[in-house]
Amino acid sequence: MPNITVDNETLEFDGTQRLLQLCLETDVDLPHFCYHPAMSAPANCRQCLIEVGMPQINRETGKPNLDENGQPIIQFMPKLQTSCSMDAVDGMVIRTHKSSELVKRAQKDNLEFLLINHPLDCPICDQAGHCPLQNQTYKHGPEGSRFEFRKVGKPKQIDLGPNVVLDGERCINCTRCVRFTEEISKSNQLTIVERGVRNYPMTPPGVEFDEPYSMNVIDICPVGALTSKDSRFRARTWEMSKTASISTVNARGSNCYYWVKDNKIVEITPRTNMDVNEYWLADEDRLDYHKFNDNRPSGPTISGAEVTWEAAYKAVSDCLKGADGSRVQFVGSAYATVEDNYLLSKLAAAVGAATPIYLAHTEAGHGDSWLRTDDRTPNAQGCERLGFRAANAADLKSRILDGGIDVLYVMEEDPVALGLCSVADLSKVKVVLHFYNTTNQTLPAADVAIPAATAVETVGTLVNDQGLAQRLRPAKSIAGVNRTLSMEIGKCRADRHGTPFDKWYDESNLINCQPGWISLPKIAAELNVAMNYKGPRNIMAELSSANDAFAGATYEAMGEFGVRLSEIGVTA
Amino acid sequence: MEEKKTKAGDWRSYQRVLLPPVKDLHKLDVYEKHEGYKALREVLTTDKWDPTSVTNEVKKSGLKGRGGAGFPTGLKWSFMPPVDPNIPRFLCCNGDESEPGTFKDRQLMEYNPHLVFEGMLIASYAMSIKTGYLYIRGEFADWITLMEEELEKAYAKGYVGKNIMGSGFSCEIVIHKGAGAYICGEESSLMSSLEGQRAYPRVKPPFPAQKGVWGYPTTINNVETLTCVPLIINKGGEWFSKIGASSHPGPVLYGISGHVNRPGVFEYPTGMLISDLIDEVAGGMRGGKKLKALIPGGSSTPILRADQIVGVTMDADSLRDAGSMMGTSGMLIMDEDVDIVSWLRRITQFYHHESCGQCTPCREGTGWLENIVTRLDEGNGQLRDLDILLDLCTQMEGRTVCALADAAAWPIRYTIDRFRSEFEAKCRPENVPSGGVLETA
Repeated sequence: MPNITVDNETLEFDGTQRLLQLCLETDVDLPHFCYHPAMSAPANCRQCLIEVGMPQINRETGKPNLDENGQPIIQFMPKLQTSCSMDAVDGMVIRTHKSSELVKRAQKDNLEFLLINHPLDCPICDQAGHCPLQNQTYKHGPEGSRFEFRKVGKPKQIDLGPNVVLDGERCINCTRCVRFTEEISKSNQLTIVERGVRNYPMTPPGVEFDEPYSMNVIDICPVGALTSKDSRFRARTWEMSKTASISTVNARGSNCYYWVKDNKIVEITPRTNMDVNEYWLADEDRLDYHKFNDNRPSGPTISGAEVTWEAAYKAVSDCLKGADGSRVQFVGSAYATVEDNYLLSKLAAAVGAATPIYLAHTEAGHGDSWLRTDDRTPNAQGCERLGFRAANAADLKSRILDGGIDVLYVMEEDPVALGLCSVADLSKVKVVLHFYNTTNQTLPAADVAIPAATAVETVGTLVNDQGLAQRLRPAKSIAGVNRTLSMEIGKCRADRHGTPFDKWYDESNLINCQPGWISLPKIAAELNVAMNYKGPRNIMAELSSANDAFAGATYEAMGEFGVRLSEIGVTA
Repeated sequence: MEEKKTKAGDWRSYQRVLLPPVKDLHKLDVYEKHEGYKALREVLTTDKWDPTSVTNEVKKSGLKGRGGAGFPTGLKWSFMPPVDPNIPRFLCCNGDESEPGTFKDRQLMEYNPHLVFEGMLIASYAMSIKTGYLYIRGEFADWITLMEEELEKAYAKGYVGKNIMGSGFSCEIVIHKGAGAYICGEESSLMSSLEGQRAYPRVKPPFPAQKGVWGYPTTINNVETLTCVPLIINKGGEWFSKIGASSHPGPVLYGISGHVNRPGVFEYPTGMLISDLIDEVAGGMRGGKKLKALIPGGSSTPILRADQIVGVTMDADSLRDAGSMMGTSGMLIMDEDVDIVSWLRRITQFYHHESCGQCTPCREGTGWLENIVTRLDEGNGQLRDLDILLDLCTQMEGRTVCALADAAAWPIRYTIDRFRSEFEAKCRPENVPSGGVLETA
């Protein structure tokens, strides 16, 4: 294998590799701004300069010249080189700031230049706290400034499009945003305007930055020049905790972080998973979080009257107890996790009903060949793998109207909103409903309504459209105490949730709801059906060994990036 | 005192070849009567020449690029990769002439446009190129019109286009107008500009010969460089190599401006004594004033004091020894009345205005330099400003994609180095220490 010497340490490398990427992967934190692994390297920020040397080759023998110790003589290039634009070559020797005063000085000088026209408004900047410019200045920058003149003024508070706001003065002209629209999203909606020190990114005249992936430029912006119109000024980075989970807006299941403050979701940002979404996240994945915060229920209800959880469970079992199994229709959900749907199918089997159906939410033409899909649910594939089939709308409607259904058990769905039936149609049917939001249009028809935990409050598994099983992790707490849930939050939130080290634990905005894997076993218990699981981890362990369609999908195996399931047993 | 020696030989009886004294030479019929397209005909139609022998003849002539860097032209041509019929290759003729103090290519385009075309065609033949771009700065509107008209005539006569002179060799020439940015004269940003993109210089490697215009092999030569090529074919590389200084031979256009009696463009061999150029060619200093300083090759080449040019000739070696560069041989002559700090302020303002803004040190540094030099010029400076200026120069030099940062830093560095007392005199009197330690940043 070819090798390269970095700061007197010899490393092996594979194939073609950029020097900067090689350094970053071996924990040499070379400062940089314009480089992004997914995009071309214009080498314009000049922050990643290093010393590069090659062995001196004897012209006659073609072999390296050796010094008195028998080591090859290294000839260094006269100028510092940008590590982002150079490929590693066998035998190359490089010196970074760890061993070279020259490089150290160059990094400091460059940061001094970057900061002279930067507004230094960190106290009111949303990027502060996770700002590469701020971090690298603390690590490598100069103390104070020698600049005694007026800074260059540029346009501020410019709406580039519906979701992105520009502060031209903060911009350091790394052109990452421009290259994103040129090379990644290919919308070409951004360019650099003006010249020299007055440069800043802008849309061409008459163009709005409204592509469906526009907000990615906010994440890749190494300063606070591009901020989210939706979430800016709402919380400082250090006031939030973040949870690595997956998005539930479409069937791709893009990996993301949920940012939480006071038990409310504030922002959603991408999490790198090279198998699913790489570094990116669609705008729809980021903006559809209000459903987690607003219009949430205050507790279970029977015919609209609030009751205790025990009373609600009892009422559900009363609905099911005397019913004829063939006249009970269970409706699973492509929004709910595999675990909850699995428990629902067990409940259905226990009362003698048919395998649950699920409701499809496809919107032809919505998807693209990238991260958005026609399917607007996160787990249709999971339902299919459990043997659920998409409901035939006409058939279901006629069965309701003809009185063929006595009990309609709807888990985390909204058949009225989908137009399958009206509230009046359900007047003669007993309806049990697990629901997320009070805006659920089936709610007025529900005899018993059970508030369900949303995707950011539960533990579970979703299967995306490519058959990748991925874990959903809880980002915010719900009312009441549950050991499994608390433990899972503690594991996946960096702030040690609930422990004495948790600085941001907050009692406000706790929703009185339960995940399906808590409520369904309680209902089963009322029916004297055994459904004994310690938690979703055990449910998935059972499913992964019992059902070939989920083979291998244990929590341990899914880990951070998911498990690709085999193709068997799936009819899409 | 050592006797002044010119390397230009008997330059007083020199016969001009790039801009010969022929009336209406820009017209095709006049040009044809004066050996016009003879070199091209010889190259294309006789067995004596093939692409390799043309390149070798140019190598033999010792022709060095006239655009500023002085890179050997034949060697540059030989960097082009082997011909692959599926991969197009391009020639760019750089007529963006935007270095302050340089105005020689303009004369060639105005008075001898067909020599430019002929040079481009022969160079294209030598590198098996089928498309040559002539990039002219937009401000040269009149000459662009003229060249377009003359190019039409050359096309009509079959000197350019398909199957030239029945030889089977085809080459198109496309004239492209720039939009007036200094940076477009840098070869890689010229290519970006040609492609219709923002004129940001590109990282090298890859060099243009590997990845140039639209990602294909490209060679870029200055207008004056290419006009030398037909002469080399007509009269031989050996003839060319014997003109002027042996290490940097050939005829060259000296653009002399500033405080002389007869400023203008003059064609003479390389290796002319600077004193001869000022005193005889340019008619001596205006008003009998004393020479104070001189820029030998465009504003970014290091400035020379009057006492530094004694015995110095205009060729790469002699100027390097004197502490400067040949550059574009656009000479700025300044007499004793010039305020060097004011002059530097103007030059610094130019580089600030023209920095493309791609790389951090140049984008931010040029503005900062201008701020400080302006303050010094206005009499509000402090001695420590000089140290900061030199420090900033170090922070900029060699740390950017292209050489604009160096071009902006050198005038500052060398002006302070060679005229420090003038800067100190302009600093606020209370800030000039009487022997104390300087306040540093």
